[in-house]
Amino acid sequence: MTTWRQRIHPEQLREVSLVVLIAAALLIFGWQIENFLSARTFNRIAASVAIVGMVAIGQTLVVLTRNIDLSVGSIVGFTAYFVGSQLAANNAMGAPAAVALAAAVGGAMGLVNGLIVAYGRVPAIITTLGTLAIYRMLLINYANARTVTVDSLPAWVVELSRQTLFSIGDFAVRPLMVATLAAVVVFQFVLGYTIFGRRLYAIGSNPDAARFAGLPAQRMVLTAFTLCGMLAGLAGFLFLARFGTITAVAGQGIELESVAAVVVGGVNTFGGSGTVLGALLGAFLIDLLGQGLLRWLGISEFWRGALLGLLILLAVASDAVILGWLRRLWRGGAEVDHDR
Amino acid sequence: MHGAPVLEMRDISRRFGNTQALDRVSLRLYPGEIHALLGENGAGKSTLIKIMTGVHQPDSGQILLDGRPVHIGSTLEAQRLGIAAIYQEPLMYPDLNVAENIFITHANRGLWVDWRRMYRDAENILSQLDVRLDVRQPARGLSVAAQQTVEIARALSLQVRMLIMDEPTAALSAHEVDQLFAIVQRLRDQGVSILFISHRLEEVFRIADRITILRDGQLISSAPRAEVTPERAIRDMAGRAIEQLFPRRDTVRERVLVQVRNLGRSGVFSGISFDVREGEVLGFAGLVGARRTDVGLALFGIAPADSGTITIDGRTVQITKPAQAMRHGIAYVSEDRRSLGLSLPMSIAANITLPTLHRYLTPIGLLRRRAEASAAEEYRRRLSIRAPSVEVEVSRLSGGNQQKVMLSKWLNTKPRLLILDEPTRGIDVGAKAEVHQMIDDLAAEGIAIILISSDLPEVLAMSDRVLVMREGRQAGVFSRREATQERILAAAMGQPETLASQVTEPSAQR
Amino acid sequence: MIANLRRLIGWEGFLFVVLILVMIVNTGRAPAYLSLSNQINLFQLSIEKIIVALVMTFVIVNGEIDLSVASVMGLAACLIAVLFESGVPMPLAILAALIAGVCCGAFNGLWVAYVGLPSLAVTLAGMIGYRGVARILIEDRSIGGFPSWFTALGQQPLLGPFPLSLILFATLFVLALVILQFSGVGRLIYVIGNNAAVARYSGIDTPRLKLGVFVASGLIAAMAGVLLAARLGAVRGNTAEGFELDIITMVLLGGVSIFGGVGNLVGVGLAILVVLNLRNGMSLLNVTGNVQTGVIGMLLILSVLLPNLTQMARERLQRRTAQRKEVQIETETPVSS
Repeated sequence: MTTWRQRIHPEQLREVSLVVLIAAALLIFGWQIENFLSARTFNRIAASVAIVGMVAIGQTLVVLTRNIDLSVGSIVGFTAYFVGSQLAANNAMGAPAAVALAAAVGGAMGLVNGLIVAYGRVPAIITTLGTLAIYRMLLINYANARTVTVDSLPAWVVELSRQTLFSIGDFAVRPLMVATLAAVVVFQFVLGYTIFGRRLYAIGSNPDAARFAGLPAQRMVLTAFTLCGMLAGLAGFLFLARFGTITAVAGQGIELESVAAVVVGGVNTFGGSGTVLGALLGAFLIDLLGQGLLRWLGISEFWRGALLGLLILLAVASDAVILGWLRRLWRGGAEVDHDR
Repeated sequence: MHGAPVLEMRDISRRFGNTQALDRVSLRLYPGEIHALLGENGAGKSTLIKIMTGVHQPDSGQILLDGRPVHIGSTLEAQRLGIAAIYQEPLMYPDLNVAENIFITHANRGLWVDWRRMYRDAENILSQLDVRLDVRQPARGLSVAAQQTVEIARALSLQVRMLIMDEPTAALSAHEVDQLFAIVQRLRDQGVSILFISHRLEEVFRIADRITILRDGQLISSAPRAEVTPERAIRDMAGRAIEQLFPRRDTVRERVLVQVRNLGRSGVFSGISFDVREGEVLGFAGLVGARRTDVGLALFGIAPADSGTITIDGRTVQITKPAQAMRHGIAYVSEDRRSLGLSLPMSIAANITLPTLHRYLTPIGLLRRRAEASAAEEYRRRLSIRAPSVEVEVSRLSGGNQQKVMLSKWLNTKPRLLILDEPTRGIDVGAKAEVHQMIDDLAAEGIAIILISSDLPEVLAMSDRVLVMREGRQAGVFSRREATQERILAAAMGQPETLASQVTEPSAQR
Repeated sequence: MIANLRRLIGWEGFLFVVLILVMIVNTGRAPAYLSLSNQINLFQLSIEKIIVALVMTFVIVNGEIDLSVASVMGLAACLIAVLFESGVPMPLAILAALIAGVCCGAFNGLWVAYVGLPSLAVTLAGMIGYRGVARILIEDRSIGGFPSWFTALGQQPLLGPFPLSLILFATLFVLALVILQFSGVGRLIYVIGNNAAVARYSGIDTPRLKLGVFVASGLIAAMAGVLLAARLGAVRGNTAEGFELDIITMVLLGGVSIFGGVGNLVGVGLAILVVLNLRNGMSLLNVTGNVQTGVIGMLLILSVLLPNLTQMARERLQRRTAQRKEVQIETETPVSS
């Protein structure tokens, strides 16, 4: 009994409960809505989750260190447009080059965020609120009222989101989703099995102790933000592949969706716990609930925002309340909570 | 002890602003010894260890490691030289497990985490300390004692040669102290030098091989334990013989002010029953972990009880919020003055009037600063608060004066029951005497006082009666006549009296 | 304290100098810049934001943040528009919008003050949620055609050449100044922002005060939303989107610490003037809206970055000249043990 209690701690329950919720949602929606469990729904969800999920991976890294990145939406938009316009001007550019470009541009923008937060000691909320505006300004200026149109792009880009790599019955597995899943696997490994990853948790769990022990906290936060920007850049590429036509408002709102995914996915806003897998599951659950509730209740598309806000609140509230209660149960006794 | 010292501090001096924190202090640490560092607050102990661990640099003097001069510029450098420090608050990563907490800060572990090897290494180190812990469990659930053990394991994994411990037993139960000392002795036998700071004489005399005493930044004495007696140690620390007992007046009145019956808070404490009369000082004794503060917090409404009754002036009351407690005339002076008792960037006057702000507002709610200032002046005079004016930020005051500001703050609420939680912790001897005098004066005015204190001599000197708590339960009530160190200690430890007297007479041992 | 005072005057002095510089540059471009009508106009263009900046000062000094203000503004505007469209008399619609603001603020405040959730997360959810509710109401339409007395609300000169909105701002500024700096409530807000536990242990009903601050934030944001609808004459789903950037910039630029407990309204007032004149100056240079926003973003970052950098440089300098007998008040304090 004791070992079981000690092996599985409350935080891991989050991923299990997410899977349970997803299964429950699928069951209910599948039963109540006609043709819900169809290939088309799956593809639609998969495509949008691929993009938000990619961003959410980066957001997870940042939130683990007790920070936040609100500029990812602008980074996604900028890289989508920038890479798109480069491809339009130079159709011969191959996939590796395009992807590398997206990652590099995104990484550079993330690097700037990281420098200001880690070395300039400006709180992340303020820095990224500022860069959200600055990067959007860069995008709008660069775009100069032109749009990247589908026709100007090389065919392989446009085809990318529609290709089927392989099928499981009726359900097509497509490159966008595979890319994000691959990234999840990579970063789940990084966070679970590399010194860098474990130290990221240490920094979020107790920043003072980490600093005192000589962990290179500043460098690690810088890396987290850079990786976040890089992943947002990759998401920008996926965005380009999915939509083809990019305007100056591309990516707006993705930052909020990624934070929602991360929070729902169990990544604690105080840092130190949570996984990228959880974030992906969170993104999936949110999209699933969104699609399902919209169809089921027959409500308009405009309900998405309100639902999203409610979900974030529920996730954060349940985190604080239920986990706190669970932890007390685990320890087998109440603890004097001096602050509330 | 055994040949050459492993670490030598020679003529170390360090100044902070107007204070000479250390004045040509020399210290020698030999391998395989337990070295105690004694001194009052402000004596320079923590400055000395901060210099040893690279947090501060000395203004002058030398540090020699194995006879060679070294410069310790950062905590990382200290770590590399084999110097590690453990403080009262264990530095844990609550979301990481025990094994990670031990190894996470190691510099050269490569890129990958080999979990199996980490768990194995962690278990090895813990077995060296003869401690059993599940290395997979998150640090969050561990007790303070277990967390300290993890910190020691961490130091050991870094091949520590000198382990510094600052008040390591403050938050431990008696049993846990025994376990800690066993670990420390094992380390010593392995050749590690241990330097520990403690205010607890019984512990120092129990475990130290050598005792060094500082006073006002200067080295007073450094000798093997056998050559030191507790009386001489106290004299060295204070520079004067300490009067044993404070001359309390007989201030207890007839009237019972507060009656507490079977007070409890599930999981924290239970079955607490006592009376307090007007003018009585009821001491709350117990070792750390006895949950005395929690009883105080229950009476004050911060962490209300969920069973039992509180009766004031014969009327049963419900106390669920501090404002309610204050209305009933109860005041609670917290043990943590820096983070719970005072708003540091605010002035003395602003702090004093904080709980009673409504008295210093105009009808429409504006501040009446002059009324505030004059009220604060009253208390500055009455309690001899040493500060240029009442507009000074309290963060600039010494510990003793901060304590007085906190006291003023609560005296201003005209309490009938005053709960003092460790009122003289961390303040100098002079201020301590002034606080004791104040307590006596307040009792003479008819105020009932609950004095929670871990300082046994203080409890004995000041209390009319002593209530002893142990692990959340009531372990005994003694009248002033009945109360002796042995009896209180025995009750606090739940031990038969014979064992208790062994603990309090350490010079008889060894 | 003297050091703090010096620091404070230093920051406000700095803002004052910046303001003068900006005004000089602007006057250089357009001689009519300093005329009363232009200055009034300058204020009117951003009157809604600066009104909310006043209450945001309270929120941040209290140690919290409210990211949802812009969404509450939008919600209030959309609510008025939708109600008006369905025939509700305008005064009633305005009342409904204000009540909605109070509800939003109370909702935020309940979760932060009584459940104990971090305000960043709660108001982030609110930012999304309240905007979402606004979108549910107005969908993708644009509603206008308000009665003329309503649209003239902000513009019509009321007292001499000054319109209602400006007088409202001036009144609110004075009120806010008195409350924050000279009243008991203001002192409590500072204490809670500096250390909420100390406030609680001193018998202060911290949750109620925090709730009150959030309710005020919601109410003022709704008021601002109403004024915005009046000035713009038409409302869409994205009305007031992104306003929180300017608002937070004004407060932080004014010397209010994001961690709470520090800052005052005089600094915020100066920062408001700086931001308004800066924006106006940029408009004179035909700088587009999004570039202006980008510049404000840079200003936000710099307002925290520059003091940090100078502090770090100062610390490094002091560490190097540690031999000299300097009274180090700000950096090292003797810790007793």
